[in-house]
Amino acid sequence: MPGTLTLISVIVIGYAVLVTLLAVVVALRRGERPSWLDSMVWMLEVLLVVRALAGLGTVFGDDPPSSVSTHVGYLVSSVCVLPIAMKSVEGDRAVWSSAVIAVAALAVTVIAVRVQMTVS
Amino acid sequence: MTDTAPRSGPHKVLLAFYALFTLAAGARAAVQLATDAGAAPVAYTLSAVAAVTYALGWYAIREASVGHTGFASVMLWVELGGVLTVGTLSLVQRHWFPDASVWSDYGIGYGFVPAVLPVAGLLWLRSQRRARGI
Repeated sequence: MPGTLTLISVIVIGYAVLVTLLAVVVALRRGERPSWLDSMVWMLEVLLVVRALAGLGTVFGDDPPSSVSTHVGYLVSSVCVLPIAMKSVEGDRAVWSSAVIAVAALAVTVIAVRVQMTVS
Repeated sequence: MTDTAPRSGPHKVLLAFYALFTLAAGARAAVQLATDAGAAPVAYTLSAVAAVTYALGWYAIREASVGHTGFASVMLWVELGGVLTVGTLSLVQRHWFPDASVWSDYGIGYGFVPAVLPVAGLLWLRSQRRARGI
């Protein structure tokens, strides 16, 4: 199970970095936020939910993280950030909305790395 | 002055950062104070203070985006003063900080974003005032 969890984490972190970079590129090109970026954000959210559910499994398993409260805090935060960011730019497709997505995606990247650090 | 919030602008990015840091500092302080408050009471309390400051900063920037810049001009300086004071104290009085707070070492644990954020906010506030002729 730890191997599977690490694999999911690597996929989540890699995909989150990709979304961050694409959002930055879109913002720097100063165009409207494309709909494919929204799709990528929601795909990342699905991956984060999968990672959170798998992470919760370890809490109740034989080898729980050293700090369960920190681990659960990171997992809950990781699934909350993107929906809140998307809600804040609802109906706004201007350049700054892509920058908000970049900030949110960067935040979940950092959270995903820190989640992994709490189980390593 | 107008009470209509601009649909988009750099304030949206600032609001995103402030919301994130309210969440991050608040969660950190809550976990630290709830599980091991005695280990570093000064640092953990200062993390809670940072969380409240970020929540007030979020509100201040939201108000400033519709032309009410008074609260933001106070809050952002308070926040900058807090980061600089706590950052300096964490370097010269290390025994007060057996564990880090959000603003320890000027926010090194968060890539120095806590030190940059109030400066970015003050620069935005200045441009906001110029644009509105305040």
